[in-house]
Amino acid sequence: VPMLQANPFQHRICHVFSTSDDGDDSMSFEDFLDMLSVFSDSATSDIKSHYAFRIFDFDDDGTLDKKDLEKLVNCLTGQGEESRLSSAEMEQLIQNILEESDIDKDGTINLSEFQHVVSRSPDFASSFKIVL
Amino acid sequence: HGFYAEETLVGNLASMSPSERIKAIQKMPETMKKKREIRNKVLKEITKKSRHRSTQLSCCTQCLQGIAVSFRRFGNSLSEYFHLLQLQYKTLKVIGAEFGTSVLSYFIFLKWLLTFNIFSFLINFSFITIPQFVAAEPNNLSFTGLELLTGAGYFQQTVLYYGFYTNATISKIKNGPSYNMQLAYIFTVGLYFVICFLILLFSMAKSFCRNFINPQAYSGNASKLLCTWDFNITNEKAVKLKQKNLSTQIKEDLTEVNQEVLSFSVTGRVVCIAIHFASWVASLGTALAACAGVYFLSTNNLRLFVKGHRNDLESQAAMLVLPVVTSLLNVLIPFFYSWLGRLERFQTPGQHIYVTITRNIILKMSIVGILCYYWLNIVAASESQCWETLVGQDIYRFIVVDFIFCLLGSFFGEFLRRIIGTTVCVSLGLPEFDIGRNVLDLIYVQTLTWIGIFFSPLLPGIQIISFSIVFYVKKVSLMMNCQPPRKVWRTAQMTTSFMFLLFFPSFLGVLSVIGVTVWRLKPSEECGPFRGLSSMYAAVSEWIEVLENYTASKWVVWIYHNLITSELFFFILSTLVL
Repeated sequence: VPMLQANPFQHRICHVFSTSDDGDDSMSFEDFLDMLSVFSDSATSDIKSHYAFRIFDFDDDGTLDKKDLEKLVNCLTGQGEESRLSSAEMEQLIQNILEESDIDKDGTINLSEFQHVVSRSPDFASSFKIVL
Repeated sequence: HGFYAEETLVGNLASMSPSERIKAIQKMPETMKKKREIRNKVLKEITKKSRHRSTQLSCCTQCLQGIAVSFRRFGNSLSEYFHLLQLQYKTLKVIGAEFGTSVLSYFIFLKWLLTFNIFSFLINFSFITIPQFVAAEPNNLSFTGLELLTGAGYFQQTVLYYGFYTNATISKIKNGPSYNMQLAYIFTVGLYFVICFLILLFSMAKSFCRNFINPQAYSGNASKLLCTWDFNITNEKAVKLKQKNLSTQIKEDLTEVNQEVLSFSVTGRVVCIAIHFASWVASLGTALAACAGVYFLSTNNLRLFVKGHRNDLESQAAMLVLPVVTSLLNVLIPFFYSWLGRLERFQTPGQHIYVTITRNIILKMSIVGILCYYWLNIVAASESQCWETLVGQDIYRFIVVDFIFCLLGSFFGEFLRRIIGTTVCVSLGLPEFDIGRNVLDLIYVQTLTWIGIFFSPLLPGIQIISFSIVFYVKKVSLMMNCQPPRKVWRTAQMTTSFMFLLFFPSFLGVLSVIGVTVWRLKPSEECGPFRGLSSMYAAVSEWIEVLENYTASKWVVWIYHNLITSELFFFILSTLVL
C-alpha cells in the first residue's frame, strides 16, 4: 500500500484491518475500504479512537500496558541511534503517561481512558486521517 | 450473552427511521462484513413487521424512498465532479503529506479568503458594474504602464473606482424597468457585508465548539504522544524528520520538568518581570512611532494630490512613497518583535507565540486605524475633486505594493535564507515556514480589501489575482526551501484563533469604518453615485419616502421605521450575536 510505506505503524494498521484467516495480515478489498473509511473525514471521533487504540495495542490484549507504550514510543521516535530514548528516559516518560491517563490506577490504559485522553486533544481527528 | 446483545441491537435499529439507522450502523466499529450482516438482519425484521400493513402504504413509502435515494446519488455525483474541478486539491494533499497539518492550515485559510473575494467580486460585478457599462461615459485619458502600479491616470475614469459610477437611474427602454444606481450601490455592498458577517460568525462558532479545550488539561505528555502522530505524512524523509523532532521534544520536556524546580528565586522572578515590562514598552513604543511616521507622511502626501492632476513621472512615483514605507514598516518591525521575544524567557513556547502574535496584531491594526483616520477625516474634508476615488486609489496602491513586498519577502526570507543556510553558514539550516507572520499578513491585506470595497468595487478582483499568485509562489517556495516546523503547533486552536482574529479587530473595524462613511461623511459634489446628497445614507431615506406613497410596499416602510432605525433592534441583535 503506497501511502502507508513510510508510516511507522504500517504493520499494525495492516494487522488490525485484515480479516483473513491465514494470519498473514493480507487485506482484501473490503478490508481496504474499512481502513479508508475509518481514516476518512466522515468517521466520527469515537470510531477513530477505537481503531487507534487497537493499532497501538501491540500485543492485542485489549489494554495498553508498559510494553505496548514502550513499543509505541519507539515507533514514534524512530529506530536511529540518536533518536532512541535511553531506558531511564523511557521509564520516566511511561511513568508520566500512566500518571496522567490511568484513572483506575491499574497500570494499564484501557479503551475508555484512551478515549478520554483523545477527547482532550482536538487535533486528533485531523491528524488521524489518510487522504487518497 | 453476545447473541442476546445482538438481538436487542437489531431490535433497536429496526425501530429507528432509515437515516438514523444508517448513521447508527456507520458508527459501529466493526468490519464491513459484520455491518452488512447486521443490516440484513434489521431489514428482515422490518419486512416481518410491515407485512401486516397494506400494500398501498408500502408502495408510497417505496416511491418516496426511491426518490430520496436518487437525489442522494445525484448529490454524490455532483460533489464528485466538483472535487475534480478543485485544482488545488492535489496541491494541498502534497503539502499536508510533507509538512503536516499545521502548515496546511495556512493554505486552507488562504483558500478560504480567496472564496470570500471571489464571492464579493461576483456580486459587485453583476449588480454594480454591469449596469454601469450600460450607462458608461467615454474615457479620454491615455494608458501608460505606470497605472498598474499607481492606480491613477487611465484607471481613474474606469469602473474601477467609485467616482466613475453614475447617480442616475439607468433604463434602456423609455418607461421600461429602471435600475436605481444609488440604491444598488448601497444595498449590494451592505448585503455583501451582512453575508460575510453571518459566514464568519457561523464558522467561528462551529470551530470554537469543535476545538474548545480546557487549556490546563492540554499540556500533558500523554496527549502529546498518543494523539500527535500525523497520519497524513507520507514522505519518508518527512517521517524521519518528524520522528527526530518528536524524540528531541520528548527529551527536552523530560529535562525541563527536572529543571523547572531549580530556577525560581525571587530576584530571578523580578528580573523576568522587568524584562517583560521593558519589552512590552519597547514594542508599544515602536508601534506608536510607526503610526506617527505614517500619519505625518500621509498628510504630506495629501498636499501632492490636492494640487491637481499632474501626470508627470515624478509626482506619480511620489504617490508610491506612503505605501512603500508602510509595507517596509510592516515587514521589519515584526522581526524586531521576534528578536525581543527571544530575549525574554517565557514559561511555555505557546506563551511566546501568543505574545508575538498579539504585538504584531497591535502594530498592524493601529497602522490600519491611522490610515482610516487619515482617509476619512482628512482626505474627505479636503478640497479635492473626488475624495472617494482618491481613497480608492490609495488602497489600490497599498494592496499592489503589499503584494510586491510579499513576493520579495518570500524570495529573501526563504530562498536566500536557504542558500545562506546550506552554503555559507550551515549551522542555520533550512528556514522554517513562519505560519504566524504569513497569516497576519493575509489578515492585514484582507482588512484593506474590505475597506476598499466601498471605494473601489472591483478591488476584490485584483485581490483574487494577487491571492492566487501568492498561493503558488508560497507553495513553490515551501517545497523548495523550507523544512517542516519543529515545534508542534496546536493546529486546531490556531485555526480558531485565526478566524477569531479575522473577525474581531479586522471585520468589525471595517464595518465601523464603512458605517462612518455611509452615515456621517458628505459625498463629493461632482462624482460618484451619491453626488450632491448630504450623506450617502440619504439615498435610502429618500427612497423610503418615495415608497410611502405606494400602498403595496407599506411593509417595507414599516420594516425600515421600526427595525432599522430603531436602536432597540440593534441592541437585541448585538446581544444575540455575543
